[in-house]
Amino acid sequence: MSNTSTAFAPEPEAVEAAQTGKARTRKRWDIRRGGEVAALILLILVFSLLNRDTFPTLINLQAILDQASIPLIIGVGATLVILLGCIDLSVEGLMSACGVTFALLSANSRMTMDLGVWAVVVGVALGAAIGLANGLIHTLLKVPSFIVTLGMGFVGFGLASVIYGTDSLPLLDGGGIKSWPAQQFLNLPYSFWLAAVVVAVGALVGRYTRLGRFTYAIGNNEQIARSNGVPVRWYKTAVFTIAGACSGLAGVLTIMQLGSSPAQIGSGVLFLTIAAVVIGGTSLGGGKGGILRTAVGVLMLTVLNNGLLIAGVSVNIRSAVSGGILIVAIVAAAWPYRSRLRIMK
Amino acid sequence: MSQTTPAEQASNETPVLRLAAISKTFGKVAAVKGVSLEIGRNEVVGLIGENGAGKSTLLKILTGIYQPDAGTIEANGQTVKFRRPQDSVDAGIGVVHQEQSLLTNLSVAENIAMGSAAGHGEGTKFGFYRWGRLNREATKVLSRVGGNIDPRATVGDLSFVDRQMVEIARALRAGEATHTMPLLILDEPTSVLERGETETLEREIRALKEFGSVIFVSHRLEEVLRICDRILVMRDGELVADRMTEEVTEDELFLLMIGHESEAPQRASAVGLETGTPVLDIRNLSARGAYRDVSLTVYPGQCVAIVGTRGSGRGEVCRAVFGAATYDEGQILVQGRDIRHWTMRQAVRHGVAYVPAERKVEGLVAGMAGAENLTLAHPGPSAVGPFLRPRARKRMATDWFERLDVRPRDPKMRLERFSGGNQQKVVMGKWLASEDLQLLVLDHPLRGLDAGASETVNAQVQDACSRNVGVLLIADTIEEAFDMAHVIVVMRDGEVTARYDLSVESTTSLDLLEGMV
Repeated sequence: MSNTSTAFAPEPEAVEAAQTGKARTRKRWDIRRGGEVAALILLILVFSLLNRDTFPTLINLQAILDQASIPLIIGVGATLVILLGCIDLSVEGLMSACGVTFALLSANSRMTMDLGVWAVVVGVALGAAIGLANGLIHTLLKVPSFIVTLGMGFVGFGLASVIYGTDSLPLLDGGGIKSWPAQQFLNLPYSFWLAAVVVAVGALVGRYTRLGRFTYAIGNNEQIARSNGVPVRWYKTAVFTIAGACSGLAGVLTIMQLGSSPAQIGSGVLFLTIAAVVIGGTSLGGGKGGILRTAVGVLMLTVLNNGLLIAGVSVNIRSAVSGGILIVAIVAAAWPYRSRLRIMK
Repeated sequence: MSQTTPAEQASNETPVLRLAAISKTFGKVAAVKGVSLEIGRNEVVGLIGENGAGKSTLLKILTGIYQPDAGTIEANGQTVKFRRPQDSVDAGIGVVHQEQSLLTNLSVAENIAMGSAAGHGEGTKFGFYRWGRLNREATKVLSRVGGNIDPRATVGDLSFVDRQMVEIARALRAGEATHTMPLLILDEPTSVLERGETETLEREIRALKEFGSVIFVSHRLEEVLRICDRILVMRDGELVADRMTEEVTEDELFLLMIGHESEAPQRASAVGLETGTPVLDIRNLSARGAYRDVSLTVYPGQCVAIVGTRGSGRGEVCRAVFGAATYDEGQILVQGRDIRHWTMRQAVRHGVAYVPAERKVEGLVAGMAGAENLTLAHPGPSAVGPFLRPRARKRMATDWFERLDVRPRDPKMRLERFSGGNQQKVVMGKWLASEDLQLLVLDHPLRGLDAGASETVNAQVQDACSRNVGVLLIADTIEEAFDMAHVIVVMRDGEVTARYDLSVESTTSLDLLEGMV
């Protein structure tokens, strides 16, 4: 692929800068940076005006934040992976596998074993382990992340189905785990606070750690990063492991929210998350964007869904609207970097 | 550095780098032949040579990218082996590569710290970045190369000079991290810069002498003469001269670079060719950052070669002709028609053919059979409407494989399995097969080809000329241009510096080289 042979070629923007003879100003990005937040505020205002009685209420805010918690957590891992220039499609399968595992290990109607909080740890650890496998297969066997994670997602579903069997698996409220996400702190649900902590940690990792900065470096140009002494494989594997852990945590949280365990719990969340990453302004080509941007993207999509729901718009139209917005956002966000998107084909 | 031992005092005279009889061979080609040299302390040494003289290979050996087949390297008096780039960094060698190697999405400070952040730098602790310290360190290094760059700026927002400063600062830092007397290798650092911008850089390079030694590679001779204390000249993989700057003149260096003077063969046939409408008429063509005010014409049956070093803009001009690159000002007329808004498809339809230098990337569909590649651009009788006629294609392919001497003569074999030379023949054949070929643009058609294949390609070019096709050629070497062209246009730094009509003027390689460097 042309990618390898031109690894050291100047970036498209660099060429652009050379042609204009001076540095490109960063105005475009500054405007865009504010753009997402402005769009989110605009959405909230519009829906508040449309449904004065039902939209801007505390209960609805709690509902929105509770809904947003799962994609927010997944979004942290997904953003890091996309910043690398890779993609993680295994999210839903991982959520199922980890969620069902968690359900089996905590108080439920089928097994007597109850590990309590340790069940959460096992669920997240399983996610991390599968994520590690993703990373190792991708880096050591040099399989594109797209393929590895797609396959691993189905492995996750398979695992979940095998564990789950045919009976339903309601979660018993033994150790209070079932009701945990709905408890409140400062009038906001625990699920949201958990997501907020994950996002905050993720944002700090992205800005202040070697792991985060090298993720950006690898996403910008893997070849140059390697020649700068970045152990590319190591960091890629680490990021996939983190993404797996995020998916695992999201799966566990989903089971807690639902209170029972259907085998396929994550459906639809992958699309929502990747859409949120892109709408937030993280480039699919890697190297540009950030976790806080993704958080804004998730909130935008959640508010949009919630608002349309309250306004009485049918499910089908809602999904069409989110799809349309995603495409528009990708085109708008990627316009200056069109050539880079070719990596994704 | 705190105590000075006798050994260290002695080392003040030992050269920072000493090469003894370094050789490197690729297949049958000896790229570097027994090169021995020394780089002293606080010395700026220029390294010059034509394309293919072995400079790049030598640098890659010094930076641990290639391992020499024979010979020894001594850094600061100790024998070293560079098995990987890090080994060379550990020996105190910092490099600024010809291609930019900065991460454009990160800040200046991060880029400067990158090498050490990967290992054990001060700016990071337990995997955490300490931005304040990183920025301070970057400011310190930047001030030493005289740059006034904000360490927090994103590299992608900087101009090319500033980026080059960052690269030098980083190389300096990498070298200093391990040695008090670092050696910086600057591989054509000025080639991407505008003339005015290079002055700043020249100042920096001279300033670097205070901190260490520099190997400066450039294709601009006057620059080398201004900056360097000593000049090394390479030709055909050998070190042919090692002179102090005061002792040489520009003309001497020219001669050393090309060795013997070769004269272009006279071409009587070229006279009288310049009649009728030119197939290609480039008028005052400019593209910012690539070339300025380029004018040239190609008449039917004429072969015009553009010679120039890398970065002279010759490739960009050729790509513009084929519609593969844009230009800002001027006009390109193909048979009198302005091609401003042509797409590549239209260019093909109007009989323009382009054989790119990056054969593997742009020129061929490696996974497809030779025959399919051959009939890709101009299917001729092998296609009717949307339908392909495999038998007609096979006939056509067999015919062309014979004419071009493609070996093995198996049009069904996937193109990637042919050797480079035979691939090139198929790529050429793809265009030559067309009845209405008017203009053939060849970007390094002989690159990587052996003598036999070169001859076939050369013969095909002459054959095309006799069919009244105009040929625009970028030649790898001056000899190549002499062999194939009727007219030679010389480019330097994006401008046409000379034009020689081989049929009326006797032209020597020295004439050309003077226009090039």
